[in-house]
Amino acid sequence: MAAAAALTLTGCGFSGTQAQSTQPSAAADTSQRIVVDNFRAPVANWAVESDAAYILSLSGCLETLTTYNQAEGKVLPSLATEWKQTSPLDWDFSIRQGVKFQDGTELTAESVVSALNHVLDAKVPARAFNRTMISSVTAVDAQTVRVSTPAENPLVPYRLASVNTGILAPAAYKAEGLDPFGHCTGPFTPVSEKAKQSLTLDRNENYWGGDVQLAGAEIRFITNGATRAAQVQTGEADISLSIPVASLAALKADDGVSVLGADSPRTATLYMNNGRAPLDNVDVRRAVREALDLDALAASVYEGAALPATGPFAPSEPWAGEKQEKQQQDLEEARRLLAGAGYTADRPLEIIAIVERAEFADVAAVVQENLKNIGIPVTIQSKEYASAEPDVLAGNYDMLLSQRNRLIDIADPIGFLTADYTCKGTYNLSHFCDPEYDRIVAEAAKTVDTNERYKLYAEAGQILQDKAVNAWLVNEQSTDAIRTNVLSYVQDPLSRYVLTAKTGKAAS
Amino acid sequence: MLQFITKRTATLVAAVVVSSFAVFLIPYFTPGDPVRKIIRSRVAGDAVDESAVQGLSESLGLNDPLAVQYFRWLGDFFSGDMGLSFVSRTPVVEQVLPALSVTLSLVTMALVLAAAISLPLGIVAGLRPGSTADKAITAVTQALIAMPEYWVAPVLVLVFALKLSVLPTAGWNDLSSAVLPALTLALRPISFFTSALRAGILDAAAAEHVPAARARGLSQGQAILHHVVPNGLVPLSTLFAVWFAGLLGGSVIVEVIFAVPGMGRLLFDAVVNSDIPLAQGGVVVVVALAVGVTTLADFVHRFLSRTVGASLA
Repeated sequence: MAAAAALTLTGCGFSGTQAQSTQPSAAADTSQRIVVDNFRAPVANWAVESDAAYILSLSGCLETLTTYNQAEGKVLPSLATEWKQTSPLDWDFSIRQGVKFQDGTELTAESVVSALNHVLDAKVPARAFNRTMISSVTAVDAQTVRVSTPAENPLVPYRLASVNTGILAPAAYKAEGLDPFGHCTGPFTPVSEKAKQSLTLDRNENYWGGDVQLAGAEIRFITNGATRAAQVQTGEADISLSIPVASLAALKADDGVSVLGADSPRTATLYMNNGRAPLDNVDVRRAVREALDLDALAASVYEGAALPATGPFAPSEPWAGEKQEKQQQDLEEARRLLAGAGYTADRPLEIIAIVERAEFADVAAVVQENLKNIGIPVTIQSKEYASAEPDVLAGNYDMLLSQRNRLIDIADPIGFLTADYTCKGTYNLSHFCDPEYDRIVAEAAKTVDTNERYKLYAEAGQILQDKAVNAWLVNEQSTDAIRTNVLSYVQDPLSRYVLTAKTGKAAS
Repeated sequence: MLQFITKRTATLVAAVVVSSFAVFLIPYFTPGDPVRKIIRSRVAGDAVDESAVQGLSESLGLNDPLAVQYFRWLGDFFSGDMGLSFVSRTPVVEQVLPALSVTLSLVTMALVLAAAISLPLGIVAGLRPGSTADKAITAVTQALIAMPEYWVAPVLVLVFALKLSVLPTAGWNDLSSAVLPALTLALRPISFFTSALRAGILDAAAAEHVPAARARGLSQGQAILHHVVPNGLVPLSTLFAVWFAGLLGGSVIVEVIFAVPGMGRLLFDAVVNSDIPLAQGGVVVVVALAVGVTTLADFVHRFLSRTVGASLA
């Protein structure tokens, strides 16, 4: 096995469409500060294993051993300069020399080991880095950290790019919780926090990665999308993340604002219960899919801000495969399949539309109308996801309207494909089980060669498509809005990296 | 009076205990497992790890019988400890007090604004019943009741922040950032205050002592100022307190839209995330304050009634 040999891996991954601000040649005024409106607030006292890590990372405070470059679709060095797989179960990371935490202490192999073990020991484990996939983290010598896995795993460098594996100085880990203030390595140092409101940061004058172009930043926690959109229009914010569809027209008409869109690894999906009649019949599931008018759905409910789906992956994803066909509505074929399967309207179906995504109420109405056209009566129930989940996981449902981030753990879909569709998958909402699919995913999980692995992902995706496991509706877009004087902003669909040393602002 | 105070204090304690128990039960009787909700609030998406569910459940004491959990909390509370938030693991009091101070400021501003606007409107409408001014005021104030906050707030943002650029869209930084949320919250109280004041003025103006005062030589203006307006204000004190109590925990929409870090948002998040100690602590504080304020309003109402009554005798 190739894994036994020493290997330096900078693998390809999800590239998507990425967008950049429009004034790369303008000079940055280094006395400027910037305001970023973020869509979430920290809830877990900055615990690095929680989603608060995203805020610390996007604000240019928290850094990881590796980083995922969206433009190149590769895992690149960050606090580690290189990495090697030294045995089937061990990966050695060389720690960057000369890096200092913002409190003046040195980044060492010991401090990295301590930080990563803190994440491994967390009561609520991080998605990408926990004891089920990592058996130990140890220091080999003063410059080298060894990460060991219980089974051969070619994706360890991807996992070390997860924001949950961010490295903070030992002084940050306190009995009462995590203290990131002055303990990061990034281009910005957090200096104060207004609870539930904002985090203020100053330039890190001693940043290892070069000169920082901004004097400081304020990250505001604005959960309401319309408010974020309004703030970038008034100039109160320079960057507003995750703009809702309803605000796009006003922002696009504003000369002072640029709207950036990128393919998001999220697909709005009509989950079907493959484990219960009548949707346990593949022809009924195919009929449902044939009945849907995805073009109309994308154009109406999503106002063109999402693209009709072609399968479980977005077409821009490198593992999507060649066979990406747009789903065309075919009512005749749908009726034929339904009749062949023996379905009658005596068995109406129910769609659960989760309320966390406001647009799903309208999507459900469109699907209801589409299915009515082929003789399937549908009722709609709106529910909070948390209240629907137990029934869905137990198989007590017909259809669920929800969405899923395929790359929530790492920039590779292995976690999604395993958890959501293998027979023993822990998040198998569709209750799909196919031994051939499981075999392909298991093989992919240990395939080191990136291209080979992606081919296997495409094969797995094709099985999901052929078996009409779910109806994938639209590929969502990640939309950010920035003031036109913001410089060198590169959009990350997952909002992990927003402020970097290069981010700048022209004089106003 | 002592009996009144004792009775009121007992009501306060009972209200706190009953409401805290009700809030304590909510996460257990809403669909979905509380521990999973806590985990999801920290780490969104994907399946919840079963060993994490068990471990967290154990460490938070959520495997104990409900009664044990509740009385443990009650005991801690009476010894001055509101416990730790299940989600952030920080002391509840450290989250509740800042949020409370924000909401108290916001609600006070909203009600002072409402009183300041409704006073002249109510007096004018009450003194000239059936006039064009009365009809216009009644129509406008009735229309305010029909305007939901989730509609009013964006309209105010559109006008004052986006078009006129005179006020910030959101946040809680200085007085200017409080204007739009306070105004949004004030609209419905304006309507109720104006109606109550109008009715009070009408009643007071029709009372026998007003012509008597005129017969004693007071001018029309003096009679209104000394005998009509004070009587008309009496019902407003109770209404003010009722709105104050209601807005303390009922300003969620306004706080979310304007990114105000107050009690409404805190309690909403606490219930959604099954953060039981935070929800309990927040509710106890809100209920205690609400009952306290309405009790105070009762005192004021009695005092005003007696004072005004005495002045009329």
